[in-house]
Amino acid sequence: MNTLKSITKWTGAALACVLFFSSTTWAQSSSKLTDPEIASVAVTANQIDVNYGKIALRKSKNKEIRKFAETMIKDHTDIIKQAVALATRLHVTPKTNATTKSLLDGEKSTTKTLDSKRGKAFDEAYIDNEVAYHKAVINAVQNVLIPDATNQDLKDLLTKVMPLLNSHLEMAENTQAEIQGKKVSANTGGSSW
Amino acid sequence: MKNRKNKWISGVVLAGIITLAAAGCTSPGGQNNQAAAPEKDTVYIAGMKFKPAELWINQWDTVVWINNDIVAHDVTQFPDKTWSSDSIQPGQSWEKAFGDSVDYFCSIHPTMKGKIMIRQ
Ligand SMILES: [Cu+2]
Repeated sequence: MNTLKSITKWTGAALACVLFFSSTTWAQSSSKLTDPEIASVAVTANQIDVNYGKIALRKSKNKEIRKFAETMIKDHTDIIKQAVALATRLHVTPKTNATTKSLLDGEKSTTKTLDSKRGKAFDEAYIDNEVAYHKAVINAVQNVLIPDATNQDLKDLLTKVMPLLNSHLEMAENTQAEIQGKKVSANTGGSSW
Repeated sequence: MKNRKNKWISGVVLAGIITLAAAGCTSPGGQNNQAAAPEKDTVYIAGMKFKPAELWINQWDTVVWINNDIVAHDVTQFPDKTWSSDSIQPGQSWEKAFGDSVDYFCSIHPTMKGKIMIRQ
């Protein structure tokens, strides 16, 4: 459990930043992941989105947000089940690694942010994060996990997940637009002119 | 002795599973028209898409949706949700006969849309 305790918080945060804000760099700089590491990253990445969804169901009263969160919980739970079933069948034990750790650190700070917000501010923070998170995960699956996977069944499962992630991103962006459309006062920064 | 009994039991359980699996292929839940000999038309669900997205059928043909995807989906009338399948789990199917053309979507993933059209 504590094998990665030596990694400082700063490193974790830095890795999280790299993952969330320039996943291409993350994709290129990271060394090749083994199949057990990929399984761990896949399960962790899915579990994190399930956890965000549970926070949303606990905190949001917005119908669109709640519906989106319910779908995230359902779908990502289904994927975890399939990933675990595949790992079991292949006798692969998911192995914690630096990427898993950075994902978990990212979750910790995002959860803190989400917990600190209420009402509409929460809804916006949640859906903004869902858009960013799905973009980062899509990038990582496409550019790192699929190319690094050696087992064909694992590669196939990751490939099958791509349309789902893309569709989640589209749904998140649609929900984001709806939430923003209902904004009462306009232009809180952002500058378009 | 005990071993033989166990073998026998596992044989029965296995047979039961096979029967259940076979039964699962003719899905419950939808309308089952055993009358005239209506045709069955299939829509596959895979990669977050209904395939084909537009299906032409003869009036009162039964359409079978087979979920070959990795997550559950549903088939729901668009846009008013006047009817809906329950969620169709991966590997499961659902069927319904149609007298009129209809638009439908997956209410879990609203980006997934499809159409059933009646041949004149
Ligand atoms: Cu769906």
